[in-house]
Amino acid sequence: MISPRRSYRSELVALAAALLVACAALTWAISVGAVAFPFGAVLAQVVHPDLSTQAGRILWEIRIPRVAIASLVGASLGLAGMLLQTMLRNPLVDPYLTGTSAGAACAIAIGIAAGVASAALPLLAFVAALATALIVAALARTGTGISHERLILAGISLSALFAGVVTLVILLSPRASTSLSILAWLGGSLAGRGWSDARVASIYAAIGVALALALAPMLNGLRFGEARARALGVDVDRVQWGVVGAASLLTAAAVSVSGIVGFVGLIVPHVTRRFVGNDARLTLVTSMILGAVLVVLADTIARSIDPPLELPLGVLLSMFGVPIFIYLSFRRRAA
Amino acid sequence: MIAIDAVALAYGGCRILEDVTFTVRAGDVLAIVGPNGAGKSTLLRAIAGAQPLDAGRITFEGRPIAAFAPQERSRNVALIEAEGAPPEGLLVEDVVAAGRLPHRPWWRWSSSEGDRRAVDRAIARTGLAPLRNRPFAELSSGERQRVWIAMAVAQDARAFLLDEPTSHLDIKHTFETLALARRLAHEDGGAVVVVLHDLNVAAAFADRIALLGERTLLACDTAAVVFDEALLARVYGIPIAVRHEPNGAVLAFAVPPSRVVS
Repeated sequence: MISPRRSYRSELVALAAALLVACAALTWAISVGAVAFPFGAVLAQVVHPDLSTQAGRILWEIRIPRVAIASLVGASLGLAGMLLQTMLRNPLVDPYLTGTSAGAACAIAIGIAAGVASAALPLLAFVAALATALIVAALARTGTGISHERLILAGISLSALFAGVVTLVILLSPRASTSLSILAWLGGSLAGRGWSDARVASIYAAIGVALALALAPMLNGLRFGEARARALGVDVDRVQWGVVGAASLLTAAAVSVSGIVGFVGLIVPHVTRRFVGNDARLTLVTSMILGAVLVVLADTIARSIDPPLELPLGVLLSMFGVPIFIYLSFRRRAA
Repeated sequence: MIAIDAVALAYGGCRILEDVTFTVRAGDVLAIVGPNGAGKSTLLRAIAGAQPLDAGRITFEGRPIAAFAPQERSRNVALIEAEGAPPEGLLVEDVVAAGRLPHRPWWRWSSSEGDRRAVDRAIARTGLAPLRNRPFAELSSGERQRVWIAMAVAQDARAFLLDEPTSHLDIKHTFETLALARRLAHEDGGAVVVVLHDLNVAAAFADRIALLGERTLLACDTAAVVFDEALLARVYGIPIAVRHEPNGAVLAFAVPPSRVVS
């Protein structure tokens, strides 16, 4: 009896579907706004950019950079969540595990209170996020590897510490505007972001993505547990450092441009696994696509519910995303 | 193929084995037996290069096993540890295919024609063809053990190190698993080292038996030689009787306190 070899047809169909959905979401997001553009106009500008027209300027200087940054943030958070959940074999982990968001929030709160120029804030957030991740990783180090429990404990402890500092700064700041600026950053937003923000963040995100994809085959070995992975020639220590490094870089890049956008890094890996199973080669790529879709859609809704006012992106994701996620995850039990 | 030379091993800062010397030949099945805590699994992991040595050296075809790069080591030596948590959402074929990981440079994502042939060969060799497309999580313990062995075969390893492969298996699956291990040695020319608890199973399936106890290697020979009533009784701390059957089989069993063995 000869059984057929495994085919990845259904997984590849799911991946293609995710790509199609991503294209549709991006196109919709670009066309929606104070001035609505028909699909044809969007397509024409994308194929032949013409900055001498008003449409060209709106699309290329406002809409497209904004959608590009939303994609970057979503893809980074989705991938970072996927990496950490895969390595720790724990579906409750999110990319802020390594303390990146709390560290960045702390630096931003102190920075805003101290009157640091707003142009310098993204860099400040990025450096603080990475520094926190480094401290957490150093605390979690055992021998040549990383202890999972210590990583989670160190991340949670440091996050709690920094959250306390943020609250203190908000309470002690003499001016209400300072507190509001800090709160707005904590709520997450892409308002006013342009190409210059995208450029810096995308360099770090690209390094993170490259590192993550290089780890994919070895992450597949880790599905059998650390001992078996080692028996398959996987350098487990190196994978762990690579995952923590890539996830921290990706999260820091995202946090630096968007503030704290929660929930994406938690839900996207779950949805991804439902679509394409748990082959890291597929999940890493798909989590980027789905993360980008989720944040692009959320950001578009955030800026079009009550224009020109914008809802905080992170708040919107929690308020609408969480109920939908709970419905999707728990309806099976009723069936 | 594998030479263990004056090896000492420590576990948690405490020496558990000293002065262990023996060799494993290609085409041979060697069983490691001994009381709980004698260091059987630790020794097996040391042979696989997964456990640092406190003293002595272990060589694979003349080269110290510690000098192998991780992937290179896995291309030569397959360590099959006792069952852990099963991987979720994988088919039998996916698990076997993971055995090709050590043959793949990090930048190559997909399996080559050689990889696919090796997986087909491993599945055929272990009789897994009917289970090939079944989810791994649905298999019984005996079937899972066969899949782990198939993974090792797909590795193209020349030494197979099995840690208590029969601990949860009934008598039929024990037989099948160890018969497969014997074929890997006797027909395919591999070196097989298997940690076993059951002395009689070891005697039935292994060509040679290494008895660990009293923090060292006490004997390494055929069952007929190693199974000495006085030696076994000393090592296990209970009265043990040994029978030599006319067909050459050797049996060892504990003597219950109330029974007199003639």
